[in-house]
Amino acid sequence: MRTRPDLKAWWRRSTVRLTSAAGLLGAACVAWAAVPAGPAGRAAPFLIVLAACCAAGGLAQLATVALVPPGAAAYPGPLARVGLWGLYWLHRLPWAEGVVLGALVLEALHPARPRHTAVLGVALIAYLLATHLAESGGGPGETAAVLRGQAPVLAAGAGLLVLAAGSAVLPSAGTGMAGGWLRAAASVAAVLAFALCLPV
Amino acid sequence: MPDHGPRPDHRPGPGQPPPGRPPAVGGTPGPGYLDARPAVTVPLRWDLSRHARRLLTLAVAGLGIALVTGRPEFAGAAAPALLLLSAWRPGRPPQAQVTAELTASRMIEGERTAVTVSVTGVAEYSAAVVLHPAHEIVPLPAAAGQRPGYASGHRVRLPFLVNRWGRRRVGTAEIVLRDRWRLSEGLGRIGLPSLECYPRPATQRTRVVLSRLPQRLGEHSARAPGEGSEFAGVREYVPGDRQRSINWPATTRRGRLQVNTFQAERSQDVVILVDTAWDGDDPDHHVVDIALRGAAAAAQAYLDTRDRVGFITYRYRARWLAPGHGQRQYYRIAEAMLSQEREWTQDTGFSRLPRQALPPGALILVFTPLMDPRLVETLRDLRQRGFAVLIIDVLRGEPGAGRGRAARLAQRIWRMEQKAIRFSLRELDIPVVHWDGEESLDLSLAPFTRRVMVTRR
Repeated sequence: MRTRPDLKAWWRRSTVRLTSAAGLLGAACVAWAAVPAGPAGRAAPFLIVLAACCAAGGLAQLATVALVPPGAAAYPGPLARVGLWGLYWLHRLPWAEGVVLGALVLEALHPARPRHTAVLGVALIAYLLATHLAESGGGPGETAAVLRGQAPVLAAGAGLLVLAAGSAVLPSAGTGMAGGWLRAAASVAAVLAFALCLPV
Repeated sequence: MPDHGPRPDHRPGPGQPPPGRPPAVGGTPGPGYLDARPAVTVPLRWDLSRHARRLLTLAVAGLGIALVTGRPEFAGAAAPALLLLSAWRPGRPPQAQVTAELTASRMIEGERTAVTVSVTGVAEYSAAVVLHPAHEIVPLPAAAGQRPGYASGHRVRLPFLVNRWGRRRVGTAEIVLRDRWRLSEGLGRIGLPSLECYPRPATQRTRVVLSRLPQRLGEHSARAPGEGSEFAGVREYVPGDRQRSINWPATTRRGRLQVNTFQAERSQDVVILVDTAWDGDDPDHHVVDIALRGAAAAAQAYLDTRDRVGFITYRYRARWLAPGHGQRQYYRIAEAMLSQEREWTQDTGFSRLPRQALPPGALILVFTPLMDPRLVETLRDLRQRGFAVLIIDVLRGEPGAGRGRAARLAQRIWRMEQKAIRFSLRELDIPVVHWDGEESLDLSLAPFTRRVMVTRR
């Protein structure tokens, strides 16, 4: 008697789930930072394309992490060698870093929108965590254990993010650029001080 | 296919490799045992993980943009990454104790087996093991949906299968240790044990039996009368016949005592000759593989009926195993297929093969692509010496031809030569049957298994 495959159990155990999540988050980060494209200036379309390519490369890297190259004694043909060379560079290049830099720079090109930036920050950290969990290939139990262990620090980081975004919304302490720099320096100092005294 | 593991009663089935014995205490066991090696100290190389580098990128980029543009929200975006990075602490263990054990050190092509890797001494770190396979080793996922050749845990089981026969290294196992915050990764490598993979026997249920069999008890019905179970005829009773064999209906009809006669049951000598000189130029279909699989099937089929089976490989010179019977002889033939030199008798030409290697009256089954003219001459010589020879042609396709008129002409000449070789062999009363290696051998040998094979000396 043929039994139906347990798709739910397969989906829970599968690395396709984490890979899909990482891919969606990467695309969402780029899209969130890009819209609207008008106020970002002339460099924005170029940056959007670059960031999108990095997101696609990162997704391809995660999707091919399970591919096993042939052993040393194999003699692949020329097309196979080209494919293996492409796979090698696909796994070596820092796609996720490209997505992070591209999204942050795109966001910086827009006028100040603190709440929007705060959401982008959350999405970027989620993207990095999903990418790491997808490439490390752990099962659902391992994913939950990792997230559970890092939950307090992530919660503290989220709190600081809210504080920083809130400080940007408040009226500036002084006129001109000095007031803005003062607030930025104060936020950086606050983050560093909190990080140093965090008991981990 | 189920995973290959030790059978509970330790009696292997037909064609199955022998089970492993328990490993020697405190030492490295010899071949044929389950390869349980002692723990190996593996040095670890620690480095910043890719996740840590990404977090560093986010932290530095966010803080930099915040300082350059004067926008504190970017510092907030960098805050979670910076807090995670602040958890990094120095001090990592320089080594770990790793044990690698194979589930089975002997197996058949295409069978699943696994290697169990245990990592000890680093309990506070999460461990993962990645299998880097050697040639012809195919890693399998530990569970549905999992990455092949990867498992996480301090004691993991990595299943794999072997594509092709031979003595094979499984590969190397890469141990990956990660701290709680996934900021550091420790990498170490350990070599995995080797295993022996035997050719997968093809399907053969019927057997070619000669008309003349030696005087040795077996399972084949011979033409001579004897004590077998196959009814031969009825003859008149002579003193000394058993009363149990009296045929009463015939006795009633003829008015004199008649007894049943039966055919004698004899065994035969079979010598399997495999031509390993030419392997073809198709990397996906090795001619030698087809020949060995056919030879394994034939050896298994004849040993099951208590015939004596010998084995000869030809690679411009001959290596031979004297005929024997029983399951042990099958294992010896399977071991010989892996070309372990120390288990073979000395290389010798066919004309010098002793009587022990080619017993008189033996049936010689030859698995060959008929590409070597020296072997063809040798087979003609064997037939002229009175041996019954049956050739199973394992040539698949034709050697690759180039372009151009000359190449096409050469291919035509080659085809005509091949046809001429087969015709000349048939003229000498040497049957040649073709087998493609995919279907059952019974189909190719059907014309010779339906009735006994009569050979004229």
